[in-house]
Amino acid sequence: MLMLHAFNYTFPASTLIADGARKRLLERSPQPLEIDADFLDLARNTDAEYESRMAMFLRTKYEKRPPDLVITLGSVALPFIVRHRDDFAPNAPVVFTSVSPQNYGALRLPPNITGIISEFDLGKTLALAERLQPEASRLFVIAGSGEVDRRWQSTARKIIEDRKRKFEVTYLFEHSYANLVEEVSRIPRDSIVILLTVFADSKGNAFVPAQLAGPLSAASSAPVYAPYDTYIGKGIVGGFVETFESVGVRAADMALQILAGKDPATIAPETNPGQTYRVDHRALARWGLQESKLPPDTVVLFKEPTIWSEHRGVVVAAILIVALQSLIVGALLVQRRRRLRAENLLKESEERMTFAAAAANIGLWKFDRHRNELWATEHCRAMFGIARDAPLTRDAFLSAVHPDDLQTATRALRSLEAEQPAVSDVRIVLPGKEVRWVRMRARSRSEGGSQSNHIGGIFVDITEQKSAEAEVALQRQEVEHLMRVSVLGELSGSIAHEINQPLTAILSNAQAALHLLAQELPDIAEIRDALEEIVHEDNRAGEVIHRLRRLLKKGQRQAEYVNINDLVRSSVSLLNGELIVRDISLRLDLDHAPSLTCGDSVQLQQVLLNLVMNAMDAMASTPIAQRSILISTGGSQAGMVDVIVRDRGHGIRAKENGRLFEPFYTTKSHGLGLGLTLCSTIIHAHQGKLTLVNDERGGAIAKFSLPVQQPTFDIA
Amino acid sequence: MTDKFTIYLVDDDPGVLKGLSRLLRTRGYEVKVYSSPRLFLDEHDMTVPGCAVLDVSMPGLDGLEIQRVLSAAGGYHRPVVFVTGKGDIPTGVRAMKAGAIDFLTKPVNDKDLFEAVSRAEARDTESRRLHSEMELIEAKVSTLTPREREVLTHVVAGQLNKQIAGDLGTVEKTIKVHRSRMMEKLGIRSVADLVRMTEKLNLSK
Repeated sequence: MLMLHAFNYTFPASTLIADGARKRLLERSPQPLEIDADFLDLARNTDAEYESRMAMFLRTKYEKRPPDLVITLGSVALPFIVRHRDDFAPNAPVVFTSVSPQNYGALRLPPNITGIISEFDLGKTLALAERLQPEASRLFVIAGSGEVDRRWQSTARKIIEDRKRKFEVTYLFEHSYANLVEEVSRIPRDSIVILLTVFADSKGNAFVPAQLAGPLSAASSAPVYAPYDTYIGKGIVGGFVETFESVGVRAADMALQILAGKDPATIAPETNPGQTYRVDHRALARWGLQESKLPPDTVVLFKEPTIWSEHRGVVVAAILIVALQSLIVGALLVQRRRRLRAENLLKESEERMTFAAAAANIGLWKFDRHRNELWATEHCRAMFGIARDAPLTRDAFLSAVHPDDLQTATRALRSLEAEQPAVSDVRIVLPGKEVRWVRMRARSRSEGGSQSNHIGGIFVDITEQKSAEAEVALQRQEVEHLMRVSVLGELSGSIAHEINQPLTAILSNAQAALHLLAQELPDIAEIRDALEEIVHEDNRAGEVIHRLRRLLKKGQRQAEYVNINDLVRSSVSLLNGELIVRDISLRLDLDHAPSLTCGDSVQLQQVLLNLVMNAMDAMASTPIAQRSILISTGGSQAGMVDVIVRDRGHGIRAKENGRLFEPFYTTKSHGLGLGLTLCSTIIHAHQGKLTLVNDERGGAIAKFSLPVQQPTFDIA
Repeated sequence: MTDKFTIYLVDDDPGVLKGLSRLLRTRGYEVKVYSSPRLFLDEHDMTVPGCAVLDVSMPGLDGLEIQRVLSAAGGYHRPVVFVTGKGDIPTGVRAMKAGAIDFLTKPVNDKDLFEAVSRAEARDTESRRLHSEMELIEAKVSTLTPREREVLTHVVAGQLNKQIAGDLGTVEKTIKVHRSRMMEKLGIRSVADLVRMTEKLNLSK
């Protein structure tokens, strides 16, 4: 196959067509192709002698192996092959390119010649210029002095005259190159410049028109347009052009069809297979022309993202990756935002809770048993008096705990049964030696059924509660004491009697001893008896005073083992005088086996005294012969010991029933109405029960039951 | 033994009982102790000279009641000394009105007690002497005939023999005989003695 170029190899148009065709042929040809090329150089040498010499040369060159097919490139190559085909490629089919419709019409072609007709569309190129520069009023048209150039001159005049839009037209034809450059530089800014072809200037210098496009458009002070693809990229704005590659591709396809056996006569020539608007983005930018004004489907070349066209796959992949990453990042951001929001809400809620806790004087804490780590809110610092900069550790807390409560606090943190909330009250010693009470509420959270390592809970400052409790206890003690004093006041006669009796005995014995000593032969044995009696009686008086002092003593309740029978006896011993004065007989019926209970003997004695006094008061109007009190002890139910006081008095009147234990309710003229209230309180404090009922046989039965407590050690 | 002055000590308090009895015994008194009024009254012998030292407030029967019981026993008044832990005035006044020797407050001082007891002893001796004198007079009076007793009352009333004879419806001479026999029987010489004797009798009634 022979590629026959009309000009030399520097002509971009024919080179592009040849390249496009060659690539296509090599790609698509079923058999290996040998492609030759020859350059006729008809632009430089136009004389007939050169043409015949060239034909001779080719005949010599291809005599032995004439080409099977010829592709002509450049318009003037077609007339050449028509005239000289028989010299070097007899009967070989010809596929021509770059032939204008006018030339094609002028040639009378043999049948096995077909090809691509190229129409360089000045009209559409002008239309592009008009669209981009709607305000432009002047038009400059450049063409040279060569054969092709002169053809363009007449075509251009005709087209411009036919145009609807009228310009002030300046035809820069037949100038010398230097003159042309000068002319071009003087063109006003708001003009349209059309560059056609300059194969030769007025002085006869030959040019490659595409090569002039650069300097001319650079010199021009107005945008330059041209109908040639090869000019684009050199500085012109653009035009409606044929892409020479596509011409080459179409020509190759035709050649392949012919080689495959198709009759070239049946293949009609094609016109402009790949014409389109093409513009140079850089030139648009240079002249400040708007891309938006371009006709649709305009190909914009040299735009920045040309990478796109070159590395489309990579770019798409990159974009996809970026998009995917963005998506992931976005999702992460959204998640982060949500998390932050949740964290904020959590933090807010935690802050609220911490604030509320602090306001309520509550500290929150959590303890990891295995790691021995303690977490606590800042408020705990204040509660435990831990310095701002000191770490909140378990030891820091324990060091603030009162030494006596240290065991309790440690135990609360260590041995907590699962799910069993525990409460322990401990004292805290603040740096200023102030002691405060803190209640530790602890709860262990079991995770997945197994014993948890975490104990959580709260610290509550209960100092005020404790002091209030202490205050109440103190007041109750005070009232109890006052009641005892008042009972003893009522019993003062009886008590005086109890002390007076031993005093009488002591005095008598002492004086007897003195008298005995005064005798000549003192009876020593009798004196000893007297002295012993004095000691005995003195002890007896001391005992009474001791009992009195205990009853009168203020102070806290003391838990001790109390023998119920002893309690009854010692209480009754204070009542003897009173019983005599009131003509009341008292009988004891005590359990054989003495029962022990745990409690405060003074308080219990107070209860018993109160009940007996009530019994005595109740019998004020009972006939003397019937006045009697029976105190009995025993157990009616297991684990309890009862003390029962029966009288023969008026009993409980219907209107009093149910009100007896009310504070300040009294039926006595001199009572405070606190006696039974207090008795009930005391018995309750001893885990016991106090009841008052009427005896069927008359009188009342007061009974209190206390739990029997045997000491853990063997009392025997 | 029965003639010896005996102190009957009654107190419900054994300690007091022991102390007081020891003290009294140092003075050489015979002391009998009773822890309850009932025991004392059951065993009491009015013929034995002595006095009662009683606690005022005791369960069952108090000292004042014992005093009343003792007084109701007849011609003889057992002297009573009260000891009390309370010493309130109304009780003291009642006791003294009923003829108590003293009303002592516990603890009792030995001096006060001895003084009271010796007074009681004197009273007892005196009243015993009076009592026996009375008994003698009464024995003498019991020997008189009814007529002599009538004459006696008229003489004591200060009537002359003549008036008495008129009142009794007899002659003066008969009255004189009755009168001298009565005086002889009673062992009295003068009318003044006779009046003093009858006054004693009236007192003891």
